[in-house]
Amino acid sequence: MSSSPVSSSLETGLHAARPMDVIKVLVQRSMMRVRRMPSAFIPSLIMPVFQLIAFSGAFGFAVTSLGIKNALDWYVPLNAIQGASFGAVGVSFGLINDMQTGFFDRILLAPTRRWVMVAAPLAAAIVRCIVPVAFVIVVGFLGGMNTPGGLLALVCLAISAIGIGLVSCAFALGLTFRLQNLGAATLTQFGIFFTIFLSTSQVPISAMTGWLRSVARINPMTNILRLARQGFLGDVTWEGSWGGLLAIAVLVLLSSWYAMTGIKKFDQ
Amino acid sequence: MTDPHLMKSPRSLRSLFQHSFVLTKRSVLGRLRQPAIIAPSFIFPLFFAALGSASFHKLAEDPYFTKNIATSFLNYAIAGAVLQGVLFASTSAAADLAIDIEQGFFERLLASPISRTSIVLGRLAGSMVVAIFQVTIFLMIFIGAGARIKSGPLGFLGLVIGGALLSLAMSAMMAGLAIKSGSSEVVQSTFPLLFVLMFLSSAFFPRHYMSGWYRTVADWNPISHIVEGFQGFINQELDFSQFAKAWLLPLAVAIVSIFFALRSLSKRLAAS
Repeated sequence: MSSSPVSSSLETGLHAARPMDVIKVLVQRSMMRVRRMPSAFIPSLIMPVFQLIAFSGAFGFAVTSLGIKNALDWYVPLNAIQGASFGAVGVSFGLINDMQTGFFDRILLAPTRRWVMVAAPLAAAIVRCIVPVAFVIVVGFLGGMNTPGGLLALVCLAISAIGIGLVSCAFALGLTFRLQNLGAATLTQFGIFFTIFLSTSQVPISAMTGWLRSVARINPMTNILRLARQGFLGDVTWEGSWGGLLAIAVLVLLSSWYAMTGIKKFDQ
Repeated sequence: MTDPHLMKSPRSLRSLFQHSFVLTKRSVLGRLRQPAIIAPSFIFPLFFAALGSASFHKLAEDPYFTKNIATSFLNYAIAGAVLQGVLFASTSAAADLAIDIEQGFFERLLASPISRTSIVLGRLAGSMVVAIFQVTIFLMIFIGAGARIKSGPLGFLGLVIGGALLSLAMSAMMAGLAIKSGSSEVVQSTFPLLFVLMFLSSAFFPRHYMSGWYRTVADWNPISHIVEGFQGFINQELDFSQFAKAWLLPLAVAIVSIFFALRSLSKRLAAS
């Protein structure tokens, strides 16, 4: 590729389409897939709500006995983040489909920069994760969830959910570019699942014991969940926010780097 | 298929056992040769049990819990892990049967001089054998992690048999579905329903601490009663109610499910 005139024009940016236009078109295409294949998207919409009901119903006593007013205050942020991550990973399923049908090769031949091929799915992931997050929040309000942090509670939750959506999508893309099969999305889902559950997903650190307490303390997801939950449990403070914001920033950078190196390997 | 057992008359009871034995062996070996399929039925239940015991250990500070339910949350979590593992494994065993149908192996079995019933019974017995190993391994891991079985070796045995009977019930139900639909996708798609039923029961948390409509659903959910029978073997002295819940309830479901599976088989035979 590097010796051909096409690739040299790509490298210099000559004749290349405007990145924002390409991203917009690819995001629209991703949304079209959701409309045409709702069966692939619906599970990421239903599962977080089911888990919200199941966790708050089954484990509600475990958190309310610790002084939390309503179990939904604890579990809504968790399930919103889960919904965002699973919605975002769905983008990689579309990418695998494009690879299998050869459409992705055609996109690669287009005069577009490589980072756009990563940025477009990430933008699509943000759009895709809005619906499950909103659905979980609506169910939470219907169930009597409290928001003592006011509007800032929802802002913190949105930042956390979008952040995790971006990390999940970028990691899934990195794996998909390397493995080029459905196993990449499955592995990402396993990774998200274990990372979330090995944090303060079920109960606060103070209620944990042994190995889980040690793992949860160093798991960045614990900070992200603290950021997401703070407005549902009390006031939003900088002390409760900076750890989560830092964790999201570092994870987004690392996973984006992983996705970018992945597409370079795919090219080679 | 060149096994001499299979060449005998399909009508005799003896050949039914022989054919079932060969197909059971095939089913068990098939599971063992696919570690990627069987691994989730070990990893996830053990992970959730470890997670639960580390998250909810404070429940053991409640006198009601220690007096009436279990001495520790680890002891409580064993039954849920056994139930979850058996349900996972039974679903994937039935999916294997559906794959046999999809790939044409089922048709080849039908073309051979083999007892028709043994096609279903072999698969069900294979599931039970896997469940016996699975529950035994789970119990040994839990005992190694510090769990104690209050009713001793009889409780251990009671739980292993209970797990095998539950496996029989679920495998038969799923096998019926596999034969009826002939699609592994249909069988796999029932798993979320089982997952919902598991969560809406006392598999992961005691019913005593639930409230509202969730408690009502858990009270009516048969899985709650089966899992509480399993818990009884571990956390209580032996009594009839444990056997009724952990053995008779799955057995009743198994009888109905085997009938459904055999009926689905005869309908498929009639159609082919």
